[in-house]
Amino acid sequence: MRIAALLFVIASTVFAQVPVAPSPGLAGEPLGTNVQNYNIVDSFETGYRFSTVGGSFEQYRSSVNFGDGIRLLGSSLMVNSKNGHGRLFDQFTLSTQGLGNDPYESAVMRVEKNRLYRYDMSWRRNDYFNPGLVTGGGDGQHLLDTQNRMQDHNLTLFPQSNLKVFAGFSTSSQTGPGYSSIQLFGATGNTFPLFSNVHRVWREYRLGNEFRVFGIRVNWMHGWEDFKDDTGATLAAAGVPVAMPGPLPAGLSSFQASDPNHGTNPYWRAAIFADRGLFHLNGRFTYSGGRNAFVVDERSQASSPARVQNVITSGNGDRPVATGNLNLSFTPTSKLTVANSTSVYNIRTLGNSYFAEFDSQTQATTVLFYRYLGIRTVANDTNLNYQVSHLWGFMGAYHYSERLITSQQQFTFAGATSSNPAEQSNQLRSGEAGVRLTPWKPLSVLLSAEIGTNSHPFTPIAGGDYHTLTGRVQYRAKTFRLAAAVKADYNANSVSLTSYAAQSRTYSVNGNWTPLSRFTIDAGFSRAHTYTIGGIAYFLDQQLFQGQSSIYLSNINSIYAGVRYTIRSRIDLYLGYTRVQDLGDGRAAANAGVGSAPALFQAVQTFPVAFQSPMARLSVKVNDKLRWNAGYQYYGYQQDFTSLLGYRANTGYTSLSFSF
Amino acid sequence: MFRAFRSGLLLAMMCGSACIAQAQANHFVSNDLCKTCHPAVWNSFYKNPHFKSVASGKEPPESTGCQGCHGPAGNHINNGGGKETIRAFSVLSAEQVLDTCLRCHSQTLSRANIRSSQHTLNGMACTSCHSIHRSQSTRALLRKPQTALCEECHTDVRAQFAMPFKHRVEEGVISCTDCHNPHGSFAPTWAMASRPRHVDQAMANEEPCLNCHADKRGPFVFEHLGVRVDGCETCHAPHGSPNSRLLLRPVVFTLCLECHNGGGDFGRQGNGIPTQSSAHNMADPRYQNCTACHVRIHGSNADSNLLR
Repeated sequence: MRIAALLFVIASTVFAQVPVAPSPGLAGEPLGTNVQNYNIVDSFETGYRFSTVGGSFEQYRSSVNFGDGIRLLGSSLMVNSKNGHGRLFDQFTLSTQGLGNDPYESAVMRVEKNRLYRYDMSWRRNDYFNPGLVTGGGDGQHLLDTQNRMQDHNLTLFPQSNLKVFAGFSTSSQTGPGYSSIQLFGATGNTFPLFSNVHRVWREYRLGNEFRVFGIRVNWMHGWEDFKDDTGATLAAAGVPVAMPGPLPAGLSSFQASDPNHGTNPYWRAAIFADRGLFHLNGRFTYSGGRNAFVVDERSQASSPARVQNVITSGNGDRPVATGNLNLSFTPTSKLTVANSTSVYNIRTLGNSYFAEFDSQTQATTVLFYRYLGIRTVANDTNLNYQVSHLWGFMGAYHYSERLITSQQQFTFAGATSSNPAEQSNQLRSGEAGVRLTPWKPLSVLLSAEIGTNSHPFTPIAGGDYHTLTGRVQYRAKTFRLAAAVKADYNANSVSLTSYAAQSRTYSVNGNWTPLSRFTIDAGFSRAHTYTIGGIAYFLDQQLFQGQSSIYLSNINSIYAGVRYTIRSRIDLYLGYTRVQDLGDGRAAANAGVGSAPALFQAVQTFPVAFQSPMARLSVKVNDKLRWNAGYQYYGYQQDFTSLLGYRANTGYTSLSFSF
Repeated sequence: MFRAFRSGLLLAMMCGSACIAQAQANHFVSNDLCKTCHPAVWNSFYKNPHFKSVASGKEPPESTGCQGCHGPAGNHINNGGGKETIRAFSVLSAEQVLDTCLRCHSQTLSRANIRSSQHTLNGMACTSCHSIHRSQSTRALLRKPQTALCEECHTDVRAQFAMPFKHRVEEGVISCTDCHNPHGSFAPTWAMASRPRHVDQAMANEEPCLNCHADKRGPFVFEHLGVRVDGCETCHAPHGSPNSRLLLRPVVFTLCLECHNGGGDFGRQGNGIPTQSSAHNMADPRYQNCTACHVRIHGSNADSNLLR
């Protein structure tokens, strides 16, 4: 039994190659400490993490972002009452990861008293960095360097009873610098980027209840969500970024902007569900009524010549959303399942935006915008599944969706109102068939195909006529597992100006083998091929070019492998390797001459990238409660056509793991 | 002849009596008897969430302890063990496992759709993911850490999370179930053809992306229609991408121009999605960086061109 359990642990800890630290597993086999009626098991890993980075540090921060310093790499605390009758609680669990300034920190806690309450908490912090413009003309995005914090608290009263009460609170915040933009006075009304101080907070409160009546469970919840965005910016003339050259306003001496945006999204959710006999019924209805009020206040001042511009934009947006789901499944025999699902979605977004500008030279201007967008979608899905014998079964499905989009764009300027109502609808129909084979107990095979058509896609790149093929094979034995999957999507649209077509094929295989309790090997390979061609239109020196194509070709190979070897139950060695490489279309160098637009589009038809990460970890058991760990992980990122964005990072750690 | 018939009848009666006696012996026994042969399971069972029913002391024998799941153990004990004499999950069909577990676990909204979920319809049993006695997860009794468990079958997704730009699932800051419900979910109302499957809804009726990216929620006066109508996947690959910000293209202007080409009968007015203005000279690097100016690309209150 213990050997089997050990095999299990080893196989699983090897499978996913996560960052080198924290170390997987505990220091030993903690039996815990008994204190009165409780058993306490505690383990933690603390150590030092280091990194050295060469090349583009910004790009490293964007994708890996581990730094130097002392960390509580991971910890776990479990307290269980031994008879299920603890005074205040029967179960307490707390696990943390990355505390002490890792870019990805989290803590998860549960406290539970049998039959009385259950409280769950999660806290997460994520340092988010995107280099944006500093990528040197690469991807053309705006910079965002923020820190996201998220918390979730959920309390359930009487969790094992037929009458449950739910209460919850969630919050998330985003703070840090990010690019925004301003429109300064000037002949062209050019837009300039500038740093803003992002400050966004979102909170949600929930209250709900679940009870049983006539054998049907009823679950309802009411939530109140409020959010505020108080991002603002201040700029001196010298601070206008030079990265975006343009005709700057003469003599700009100061700029100040505030952009408060507050709103609320109260919602209701009611659901019924029943699992009785041959029929299984579930229904759900939701309504949310989002409302948002905002002001954008911008002040620009120039000293020579003297000029002042004030711009205030204010208004509100409303978005009531109502949805409904009804699922019915019927199991007349143990072999047959028929399921039908219907969903309805009705969303309306409407808002006013009042724009007022006072310019000391051009005088005042006011414009009132009104926008309306309505989307109504009805979808129905019928699925039949029949298990002919233990060797094989088959399924068939039919999906139908209908969507109606209505909109109105209106603005009032100088007393005249212009309105532009529009409406369009589309239907999507698709059929699906599949077969499920189990010719041998350890071996399972799934094959399915789907064909569908969308009568009126909303965007050129949305699925029009499409078909999909999927296959999955898995062999699972006691010490060996092998899985393979293939998925192919083909999407073809054709219209007068544009011809959009996309095809993607993904092949993947992975497996793990544990021939000995002290040795495990795990490896996988994936290949994803994507080819799209879409029509584009663009301007070149104010001349419109149409009928040209944007082609994108990607061939991504991904491989990973890991080996774990344990020496005399004391030394644990792990070696792993991951490599992702987009081979592009095989061209050796980027197309030269991006000064003209056609050449520019040719240059970005493919984008070869290589990202690799070998790692090694050594863990030595000092005694039953203590392990010493050390690890090294290399990150190498290389873009073949823009070498300035590549980086090489050597990261590692050393730590001690304690278990009690 | 008669003697032979009589002997056969007697033998059949004896066998029948024995069988009846054996069936009658298959009754519930004290759970304490189980620990004689299964001490490891018994001794740590107080840490198992199923221990609640034992601690309660009020549950009937078919709903508590070992026999609550494994059925009456009378025969099992009389025969000295064996998988044939008790409800052993390793030999049950997926449907039998599901029926057994749902006797108690159907009482949660998050599992309301489990019978029609793709996992169930494709022959997966509860025990494909959960291990009651050898769990490696402090929560949900998963037989492996959640990420490794899901990636075991979803091999293509595992490759996506190995991309240089990805959601930090391998790093542990988020997990698969932050966005997905493996027990089956209600059809996503925001999408057509009831796709994608197994995706949970944020708040009450939105894409799960907005759980964390709440600043993209709005409502905005000037919505980016592609986002609101077809969803975040119009521009982003949610698991991972070789392109920064999980974009579908390495440079942003191709992503924008493939929709904003004015062609066909797309868009809300059916006369194409507007092209950029003639002031945008694509030979000028300034205009190749779309979102450097159109910073409110997900929706704006102040500017119909999503500039601020």
